[in-house]
Amino acid sequence: MSLLKRLQELLGGGGRRRAGPVGDSYVTFKFEKFKDVLKCNNHALELIADVGVKLSGDYVFDSHYVETAFVALSDAVLKSVHALNTVCENCYRDLYGTYDRITEHIRRIVDQREDREGPAFLKLEDITRFSYAIVGGKNRHLAQIARDLHLPVPEGFVITTRAYHDIIDFNGLRDTLDTFESLVAGGDAPPESLEAARTTLQNGLLHAKVPPPLIKALDTHLQHLRDACGQAPMRLAVRSSAREEDMDFSFAGQYKTELGVPADTAEILEAYRKVTASLFESHAVQYRCTVLQGEGQISIAVGCQKMIDAVASGVLYTDNPSQPGGDTLLIACAWGQGEAVVSGQIPTDTFTVKKFGDLEIIQRQIAVKSRGLFAKSRRGGLEYRPIPKADQKRACIRDDQVRSLARMALRLENYFKLPQDVEWVVDSSERIYILQSRPLLLKKEAQRGDALPGLLEKYEILIRDRGKIAQQGIGAGPVKVVRSTADLDDLPEGTVVVSPRDMSSLALVMDKVAAIVTEVGTPVSHMATICREFGVPCLVNVDGILDCVKEGMEVTVDVEDNRIYKGRVPELLTYRASSSLNVFQTPAFRLLRRFLHAVASLNLVDPLLEDFTLNKCETYHDILRYVHEKAVLEMINLGRDEKRLLQSHHKKTLELDIPTGIIVIDMGGGIKDNAPDSRIGLNDVACIPFKALLEGMLYPGVWHREAMNVGFRDMVTSIVNAPADSLSGQYSGHNIGILTAEYVNLSLRFGYHFNIVDAFCSDTVRNNHFYFRFVGGATDISKRSRRARMIAEILEAFNLNVQTRGDVVTSRSGNMPRGEMEHTLNILGRLIGFTRQLDVHMDNDHVVHRYVKAFLDGNYGVVHSDGAASSA
Amino acid sequence: MEHTTRPSSPRLMVIDDEPTVGRRLKHVFGKIGFTIETFTNPEAAMQRLQEQPFDIVVTDLKMKGMDGMQVLAKIRAHHPRIKVILITGYAQLETATEAFRQGVFDFITKPFRLDELRQSILRAADALASGSTTGVS
Repeated sequence: MSLLKRLQELLGGGGRRRAGPVGDSYVTFKFEKFKDVLKCNNHALELIADVGVKLSGDYVFDSHYVETAFVALSDAVLKSVHALNTVCENCYRDLYGTYDRITEHIRRIVDQREDREGPAFLKLEDITRFSYAIVGGKNRHLAQIARDLHLPVPEGFVITTRAYHDIIDFNGLRDTLDTFESLVAGGDAPPESLEAARTTLQNGLLHAKVPPPLIKALDTHLQHLRDACGQAPMRLAVRSSAREEDMDFSFAGQYKTELGVPADTAEILEAYRKVTASLFESHAVQYRCTVLQGEGQISIAVGCQKMIDAVASGVLYTDNPSQPGGDTLLIACAWGQGEAVVSGQIPTDTFTVKKFGDLEIIQRQIAVKSRGLFAKSRRGGLEYRPIPKADQKRACIRDDQVRSLARMALRLENYFKLPQDVEWVVDSSERIYILQSRPLLLKKEAQRGDALPGLLEKYEILIRDRGKIAQQGIGAGPVKVVRSTADLDDLPEGTVVVSPRDMSSLALVMDKVAAIVTEVGTPVSHMATICREFGVPCLVNVDGILDCVKEGMEVTVDVEDNRIYKGRVPELLTYRASSSLNVFQTPAFRLLRRFLHAVASLNLVDPLLEDFTLNKCETYHDILRYVHEKAVLEMINLGRDEKRLLQSHHKKTLELDIPTGIIVIDMGGGIKDNAPDSRIGLNDVACIPFKALLEGMLYPGVWHREAMNVGFRDMVTSIVNAPADSLSGQYSGHNIGILTAEYVNLSLRFGYHFNIVDAFCSDTVRNNHFYFRFVGGATDISKRSRRARMIAEILEAFNLNVQTRGDVVTSRSGNMPRGEMEHTLNILGRLIGFTRQLDVHMDNDHVVHRYVKAFLDGNYGVVHSDGAASSA
Repeated sequence: MEHTTRPSSPRLMVIDDEPTVGRRLKHVFGKIGFTIETFTNPEAAMQRLQEQPFDIVVTDLKMKGMDGMQVLAKIRAHHPRIKVILITGYAQLETATEAFRQGVFDFITKPFRLDELRQSILRAADALASGSTTGVS
């Protein structure tokens, strides 16, 4: 169905455009439409949240559910886009194109054909979440390690599943592949038919002709790699990477890897053929039919990475298999390439390292290493070579390298939220590279099955059956109480964050926390969504948690059973390592997760940043965020449209104990019904956010009535009139507040300053937002920027999001509970009062700190006591 | 969580042709001390019932071969002591009514919270422990 037609259906008409109403009706029209935007957005966000909680691990659903969710959500988002275009009179028409682009992408995911589209080649560093489906699990993890953790991985590129499908088609293998997949899916295929299809595919791929455009692209990528590395002759590792991102570990050892392949197009193609054909080797197919029955289709991507000229290499287990769930990790290594270590072909040095504190090496076992595996000097492949006598008995890595490795590995464990099995290599310049990191699966025996409840009895339970599940899982570590964003600086790896409430800013540390527990919160918050994205075990709304834990105390959070234990509980951590992967592995679950990624991730994080644009919208959530922001902007601009506003019949003058000269325009519910006709007081105000602001401005001491005596004339001037030398005409004019019961848009021109506050404050958390803007003028630029800095520092101290440009300070936030909104608005009110006359005092940087401190200490009278001679 | 009134290690069987439910339940109930076996093929599950007693059977409604109602009928006929819980992706009033008429212990619609099913299974275990039946554990 065409977009236009869908729109018409949704609306029961066409996109109507109202001919410019004036005065009241215009304002009312705008506001009604603005409320429509909020309503549409909320509906869509609720749907997303609803899908999100299904991923918490607390629900059981099937594949049919994803299709249903997609249909409902795509309609809801389209309605939001349209609501914005109604309030803004069609100035965001481009948003429809963005919507179509994103919807098409999500449709491919729901239909499970996303692995057949997109680029055939991708550099490792160009992999984003949108290419995860075509690069396979191993490559995805490498890309994440390089991009999110900034750990070194060898340069390389991926031949994606798109290329695999192209080659299947080019060689006429599609029908055979379809037959093969349906036989595997059926589960009861006659062995002869399965065998026939399998051999046809294996041989077909081993001798596959490659489409010329792919050969050309491979040429180019190899050339780039050679140029970037400047190493001759370069060799590559050509590794399989199966389609499903979270299943890669299940395939360990099933598919081929070719090592030491010369970086030459023909050689790489030959290796590629062997690797892809291994998908259909007899043992791999048998494995799929027995272990992975009912898991859906599998396609294969291939990673081509530069081989590191290894001095030493090995593996690292972040959980020591001899004491699972304990506090040590294990490193095994040898001279040369790591394949000899992985396959257990040669004796290795082993190091046992404490996982906490200063990473003490508690055991070293140095083996006699008489040979090592190295790249052949001519042709491809690896060969064993003797190790010089002097090196045979010494450790192949130094203690400081052991610790560097341990640090890297712990970051990997905290990022992937499970113990990791890490392959690594050290080159001749002593640089450590990560070759692979995958979940370390402990043997089933470690699980101890039905004995677990008994084993847990000896541990003290701090919290039981309290709170709501935001994300399933188990995590342990020392507690850090986080009250504001500043507490997140230098947060140690593996911390259990305990916070009074949900905080979106915890997104900054999701890669290194072990678990999150909040005293107040909801499983549908932004934070909960991000927890699910990163797999961070998270309990919210845990009443009394802050009284139960102390900073630094070790705890184990078991979200699955809704318990928090005092201390580390190795039995639970072992249990996690041996079983919890299963939970998130079912096909329906993986599909829903990919769907949710494409729907719910947020790329437009901060409206104050320049990349808050349509081009950056990649998900439905981005669209909704964009819609909300632009709708708010429309309302803010409405507040500045003074000429129109003053035509209103509903305007009243607000009379307070302080001279603010505010005219209010009530659009419904902002002023009490029994209020007088033209002049009203504070008690007549019903608007929640406006009342909070005014209470802040009237807070004792803030407005400095005492100061009036000093320079009465200046004071009055600065309060109600714009100075003649104002930098910009926009400062002159009236102070106007547009109100409803839950919304205020206030423009205040106080002499040298121009403040805008736009706020929605209600019991619906998601509707709530505030926008604060301060522009100063009149004094010289250094004073103005000092004042801006002071305001910014104060706002930041209250954990608000701030942007400063010259003398313009903007702060913007939302999604806060009503109480917190009121508190924030009260603070903003105080700040407006406090800063009203400060411009003249801003003589040096010292003053900035003094005033910031005074404000934070509640010492608002400082401005008065400083008088005009503040420059101490 | 109280375990004292329940069989020390209740035996749970899960039948679902999409392996989702079985895996999830294996994880959750294994951890709290249940013995659990999962089947994607209902015939194989019925076979197993001949060899080994179970306390509770959780079965999907729509499956290839034998559907959940047939499983229920078979169990009611041959192992009346077993509590049966039916799971379905499509809530249909008639089916639910029919299932209860045939003696199903509970009837749950997807998507459901794991805890809903957990509570249902725990209730079944309690009913077994306190109830009319003997020879448990």
